Amino acid sequence: MKKSSLFNFTVKYLGFLKSVPLLPQLFDSQLKLWSLLTNWGLLQAIDDIETEILSWNGTNTTLHKYGGIQFNYKALEIGHIHSNGILDIRFSRKIKQQLMDEGKIDDHHIFAKSGWISFYVRGKEDSDYALELLRMAYLRTCQTYEVFKTS
Amino acid sequence: MDDKYSKVELIKGFVFSNTFAFILIGLSKLALSRPYNKGTGILVFSEFIIIPMLMGIICAWNWKNLQLKGRMSGLYSFYNSLLAILLSSIFLGEGIICLIIVSPLIFGFMCLGTYIGRKMFEENNNELNVSIIVLLLFVFVMDSVSEHHYQNEVTDKIIINAPPDKVWNNVVAFEPIKQKNTFWLFRIGMPSPMATTVTGRYQGAGRKCIFSNGYVFGEKIVTYDENKNLTFDIIDQPLDPEIMGHIDILRGQFLLQDNGNGTTTLIGNSWYKLYVFPVWYYDIWAQSITRNVHFRVMEHIKELSEKK
Repeated sequence: MKKSSLFNFTVKYLGFLKSVPLLPQLFDSQLKLWSLLTNWGLLQAIDDIETEILSWNGTNTTLHKYGGIQFNYKALEIGHIHSNGILDIRFSRKIKQQLMDEGKIDDHHIFAKSGWISFYVRGKEDSDYALELLRMAYLRTCQTYEVFKTS
Repeated sequence: MDDKYSKVELIKGFVFSNTFAFILIGLSKLALSRPYNKGTGILVFSEFIIIPMLMGIICAWNWKNLQLKGRMSGLYSFYNSLLAILLSSIFLGEGIICLIIVSPLIFGFMCLGTYIGRKMFEENNNELNVSIIVLLLFVFVMDSVSEHHYQNEVTDKIIINAPPDKVWNNVVAFEPIKQKNTFWLFRIGMPSPMATTVTGRYQGAGRKCIFSNGYVFGEKIVTYDENKNLTFDIIDQPLDPEIMGHIDILRGQFLLQDNGNGTTTLIGNSWYKLYVFPVWYYDIWAQSITRNVHFRVMEHIKELSEKK
């Protein structure tokens, strides 16, 4: 999976700035501008993913605290996608390993040793797999929410 | 939805948001012009953050029936940013380089405002999100009436393979720089230093730094410590729209350190005051430009000094 070098550089060397209010959102807007100019299909794919997720019961979207769109079930995060197409989702480490074995996903771009995974959506061709991952996360989040609610 | 209706809604978004922005900027300039800032007024961070966000929210209000998704709302925010930048160049007299520098902020926060607006005006949203607008306007007013002061110093150094006495002559004044510019802002038209002249080699003498577009910075030598320290105050800055009211260069300095092996360490220092905020954004540009001015001059001094 090939991530943009600008994104990698920013995360690696300027990541400490993510706590400055609005700065991550500003950076994500620049990624969106870049995608607008260079990869129109990616933004279409992100829109399609958002539309599909919002059709699932109990879902909503918000701005992610580090830039991008966050998909939620009620108040719990399902995953989020940055405007350069990097989709981040948290699974258990066991599920992450199974997905890693399929060879389509990577360690998370920051929390490599956690259950977080990153999948790079480059265009419409990647939407189906992205939705498959998000669907798995959605079902897990629904279960978590129910457990949380009843406890 | 019919095409003609959509176009009208889109245009309403562009017109209302830009009109609002220019009225707000105009009112704040009228009410808050500061005499100590040569009447040009400080450009506070709200003008580059709060106003674009409010513009985005106004657009979202006008576009709420168009059901825009992220891709199209991003594209229209981009068009609106271009329009706002074009209008700024016409009505506020901003230079091209300034507009290039400011454009990522305008686009970024307008895009963010459009997203916030889309969420605020969603049909099933019953929360009182309109208070966000009041909060943003409050921040704008408070920021506009607050004192803003920021000065910084940039330091660079190079090693020259020549003794200090040979370097010194080229530090005080130098022949025109003929090397091609490598810094991208200089290549697209930002003035770069070309030559320096002096009226004499003593403390109190006048010095002129001539830039590629013919602009001249008038300077006065305040420290003339031969082969060691040349410090000069900038006493006359050109009225260039790219810098006027945005940055004042206050002082420049060259320090020469004899390394004892026939080489000299040349240190260039510049002090400047910024009139544009937020500092976390504009100071990155100010430092980068100052650093490139330093290196263009210092590399030239190195080349002249190392000539056999």
